[in-house]
Amino acid sequence: MLPSPTPARALAVLRGRRIAMIRFEHVTKVYDQKSKPALDGVSLDVDRGEFLFLVGASGSGKSTFIRLVLKEDRATRGAVYVAGQNVANIPSWRVPKLRRGIGVVFQDFRLLPNKSVFANVAFAMQVIGKSRAVIRETVPEVLKTVGLEGKNNRMPHELSGGEQQRVAIARAIVNKPGILLADEPTGNLDPTTSMGIMKVLDRINQNGTTVVMATHDDDIVNTMRKRVVELRDGSVVRDDAQGIYIGTTTAAAG
Amino acid sequence: MRFAFVLGEIASGMRRNLVMVVSVVLVTFISLTFVGAAGLLQLQIDQMKGYWYDRVQVAVFLCVENSTSESCASGPVTDEQRTAIEAKLKSPELSAYVDTVQYESQDQALVHFREQLANSPIVEAVTAEQLPESFRVGLVDPEKYEVISEAFSSQPGVDIVSDQREYLEEIFGYINIASLVALGIAVVMSVGAILLIATTIRLSAFSRRRETGIMRLVGASKAIIQLPFVLEGVIAAILGAAIASGTLWAVLRYGGQWLSREYPQMGFISTQELLLVVPALFLLGALLAGASSLLTLRRYLKV
Ligand SMILES: Nc1ncnc2c1ncn2[C@@H]1O[C@H](COP(=O)(O)OP(=O)(O)OP(=O)(O)O)[C@@H](O)[C@H]1O
Ligand SMILES: [Mg+2]
Repeated sequence: MLPSPTPARALAVLRGRRIAMIRFEHVTKVYDQKSKPALDGVSLDVDRGEFLFLVGASGSGKSTFIRLVLKEDRATRGAVYVAGQNVANIPSWRVPKLRRGIGVVFQDFRLLPNKSVFANVAFAMQVIGKSRAVIRETVPEVLKTVGLEGKNNRMPHELSGGEQQRVAIARAIVNKPGILLADEPTGNLDPTTSMGIMKVLDRINQNGTTVVMATHDDDIVNTMRKRVVELRDGSVVRDDAQGIYIGTTTAAAG
Repeated sequence: MRFAFVLGEIASGMRRNLVMVVSVVLVTFISLTFVGAAGLLQLQIDQMKGYWYDRVQVAVFLCVENSTSESCASGPVTDEQRTAIEAKLKSPELSAYVDTVQYESQDQALVHFREQLANSPIVEAVTAEQLPESFRVGLVDPEKYEVISEAFSSQPGVDIVSDQREYLEEIFGYINIASLVALGIAVVMSVGAILLIATTIRLSAFSRRRETGIMRLVGASKAIIQLPFVLEGVIAAILGAAIASGTLWAVLRYGGQWLSREYPQMGFISTQELLLVVPALFLLGALLAGASSLLTLRRYLKV
């Protein structure tokens, strides 16, 4: 099968007018030879400013997709482009620069337990050498964006799960990445809290950040009405512009 | 900012890993002390060579009553024999080799003997007649001892020709062995230090994998991620080098003082020689720790 981006989109790419933020070209990922591929010939474009849900059963390859964007792993076949650049051609010493342009959020928050909310977010700026003045100015701003004003000095264990995820999101966007990857960010949260997190992600998306979110949460997908890409056994079986969570593979969504 | 940040990371890493850090300090301290001791012993040999090779003399001992060598068969040296020996020492044939000639009488020999063995009870029992008179010959080139030895060993009235350098070489031999033993211990201990540093860094990397994972994700450079670990090892090793240097200084200062009092004419090295050894110890400690932590991190810290 040929890759099938819409003709208009393909033309735009050819003319160089619009470069996809993330572009997968026939990407196959084989972790070990004996089992079947985690991703199998996936072709996909995610445009600048888009919000994309990545859905599919457990083991369908969602996390693998995210790892390939981050160059945490290399594609076995095919090419992954981030902001127009083939990540396979990025030398290892330039990989940090690639990752500075991408924020990541996980299901398990991954906060540093011995650092305060402020320090957790500041950490992401310190390690890439931002000045103290810039950090003091930016961190409170970002904490406000995710709805955590006044909780600067709390420790992670003094926060609810939803609040901890907000800290993780603040940390992911504090360096103003063009892409935010979220791997089941609401997986550990109740529905109400999850909707709060989705509002934050939506606001970040409104500000121009491309968001890719892997999720199992049908309520969220159905409420948000964003683009939905469904993976099954490593292949894209559905790509709906304003999709819903469950649908037959041939479902037309509106 | 980055500097303060790295310092903070090192401090927290070392606090978390305190027991291991202390053991790295101790092991590098012991190994570097032995490295330093080996170096100082070599310097001691050099110092003694420089000091003594100018002063060593060949002693031509003359026959006394109870000499047993063949050339003394006719009894104690006679005046004619003594004159002949002195004339031969000052002859043109030997002038190329002989620098100075000094005569030491039996009475002078007794005075020197008493000086050298001041605290020993045998001094009282020895009389001037038992000690041989001698010519003390300073050589132009101390290595050319053979020439004098050949020329005089069968000369009538000469009991024995002795080269003081031989005693020195024997002493140097012992010091050399001590220095090699110290070096051997140093090598074994250094291997131990390297392995211990590698283990420490590995544990440290493991206990901070959450931090380093986040650093990687937000795009921290390899250097920033690895630097705190490498510096942790290097700082521990440098602390070890500092304690080793202090120990060597104390040994030289107090041990050396005591030795120089007991053997004033030996020419012992002083704390000054540490100026050469100490920088080498610090450099060696830092290199060992730096190299072994970098190698460990390559395997155990994903960046
Ligand atoms: N590091 C790895 N080594 C070997 N196999 C792996 C590795 N990571 C993932 N896999 C395999 O690849 C396939 C896809 O895994 P992936 O984690 O991408 O799924 P997922 O869609 O994220 O699932 P979930 O919804 O449970 O998180 C699975 O079959 C998994 O067993
Ligand atoms: Mg997953």
